Amino acid sequence: MTTADTIGSSDAAWMAERRSAASTALATLSMPSPREEIWRYLDLDFDPGLAAAATEPGDTAPPDAVMSGWEGSFISVVDGFVVSEGVGTASASESEVALPDDGDLFSTASRAFAPGAALIGKGLLDTPVFVDVQSTGTATSFPGVHVDVPAGSDATVLVRYRSTTGEPATVVPTVTATVGDNARLTLTVIQDWNYRTRAMGRGVVSLGRDAGLTLTEVGLGGLVGRLHLDVDFVGRGSHAKVYGAYFGEEDQTLDYRYFMNHIGTDTRCDMFLKGAVEDDALSVFTGLIRIEESGQKTESFQTNRNLILSPGASAQSVPNLEILANDVKCGHGSSVGPLDEDQRYYLMSRGLTPERADRLQVHGFFEEVIDVIPDDSVADWVRTRINDKYVTAQQEGRV
Amino acid sequence: MNPALEVTGLTASIGDLEILRGVDLAVPFGEVHAIMGPNGSGKSTLSHVLMGKSDYEASGSAKIDGVEIMGLPVDERARAGLFEAFQYPTEIPGVSLDELTSEMALSNPDDDGYAARVDAASDRLSMDRFRGRAVNVGLSGGEKKRSEMYLLGVANPKVAILDEIDSGLDIDAVREVAAMVESLRSPGLGVVIITHYSRILRYLDVDRVHVMVGGRIVKSGGPEVAEELEGAGYTEYVVRST
Repeated sequence: MTTADTIGSSDAAWMAERRSAASTALATLSMPSPREEIWRYLDLDFDPGLAAAATEPGDTAPPDAVMSGWEGSFISVVDGFVVSEGVGTASASESEVALPDDGDLFSTASRAFAPGAALIGKGLLDTPVFVDVQSTGTATSFPGVHVDVPAGSDATVLVRYRSTTGEPATVVPTVTATVGDNARLTLTVIQDWNYRTRAMGRGVVSLGRDAGLTLTEVGLGGLVGRLHLDVDFVGRGSHAKVYGAYFGEEDQTLDYRYFMNHIGTDTRCDMFLKGAVEDDALSVFTGLIRIEESGQKTESFQTNRNLILSPGASAQSVPNLEILANDVKCGHGSSVGPLDEDQRYYLMSRGLTPERADRLQVHGFFEEVIDVIPDDSVADWVRTRINDKYVTAQQEGRV
Repeated sequence: MNPALEVTGLTASIGDLEILRGVDLAVPFGEVHAIMGPNGSGKSTLSHVLMGKSDYEASGSAKIDGVEIMGLPVDERARAGLFEAFQYPTEIPGVSLDELTSEMALSNPDDDGYAARVDAASDRLSMDRFRGRAVNVGLSGGEKKRSEMYLLGVANPKVAILDEIDSGLDIDAVREVAAMVESLRSPGLGVVIITHYSRILRYLDVDRVHVMVGGRIVKSGGPEVAEELEGAGYTEYVVRST
């Protein structure tokens, strides 16, 4: 078995110490149970392969289509290891953010095995950064990306996860960010794993005073594509727009657990996720807006809309509010249903075949989210991928 | 020569509720007809049943230029040459008018005139600033009518049914819509205006007026029929038919 202290190049004492503690804790932990709310609806009956954690990066795959139009820099993380030159890993204090300790098996395994999160901070953030996170084989990997946006600056980061082979693997990715006072982060996360990979993702973003975040997640791939996200509105006046677009097929589970934690006063959040499932896919959205007593004058809204495109597909959508302050504005909306009959009738009355009418409706459904992806070439790529998935499903008679 | 639209013995019901009870109607090419009637007389149902909306159990015949359309799916009726301008056109979020018109063209590959008609209708109706916007989303009542008239121009149908085309519009907008309808008049098109009120007919010359009551056409005549209705209302017909 891989031991904690054989992994990674950073042998800082703090890391060895944390690894050792996590390894000890790990020995007492088993797989989480779907009886726990945070894991509810998931099929957790699988071997996460912690005995086979990656000890070195596999072969780096060449850039692909989504990267071709990117105007900015590239960083590669392969099987959890930062392979780009000139990119450091998170320090001890950054690492406390970058590897949140949730006490469960996956988070503890991350703290035991992760080689260190790629640190994207001052100096790297002058141009938009594309982080190409690859899983190359069957080894379990723990890729981390930590973005540190200094006060008063603007940063654009895209994290794209992909599998470079068809091999089944477990990946425990983390993406974390600290956004300084008056700073702004535009963060896009694309999960594009192969359909045999289980990705148990974790994200944490902390916002300083008047800090702004635009976060867009696109869920395409993975047997399991999970993101358990916390956004902490710590600073007064911090604000975020959180978007999501996901499309599930085959027996995929796309799983979102989003927690918006309003701690500072006068904070704002708009959360808007749209997803579609066909075939036997399942999507899960559980969203919580939590407003602390200190979070007066907060405005926070969450909306989750789901299209069910096949009889075997399903979506769980559970928005929640937990409000401890008394002067706030909050709202949530959620829907799960088939394509809209009125839209289909209208489009067909304009001469569109039913196939084209439905395709156009699906396109329009996602457009509200895809349209906000900051990079046009990435937005086009996402648009095409979702359209292609739907067209294939139509051609194969699944929808 | 076939009429643009020929409807014979058309009936329609929802469950046990009979709404159309044998409608006969012929609209020659080049003419503009009005169907008038009180609320609940079946006017709008007639247009939906012709378009093929699935809510109704329908029987009878409807021909576009001699081609039977009853029993065809909605899109095939459209491609056979029927266009319905809706009273409440459905919003299609995230889909621009330009995307819709290009899908209309792709759905009808035998007709290569779409691009030219998009340009022409766009110029004629000053649609430039609407074409990139989502279909019917956030439009005023008048703008929705204009958008529907634009799609009519792009579709180039043989029969256009304009359902309650003047409802919810102020008098300036009614005039504007009347002018748009007037400009549609052409030898290759039959137009049916469905309206509750006669006011749009003050700004528009129609060839025939049909009065619909209780799911039947109870009177047909020239424009003078509309004038009579303006004075007397529908009471006479309602009393007679019940």
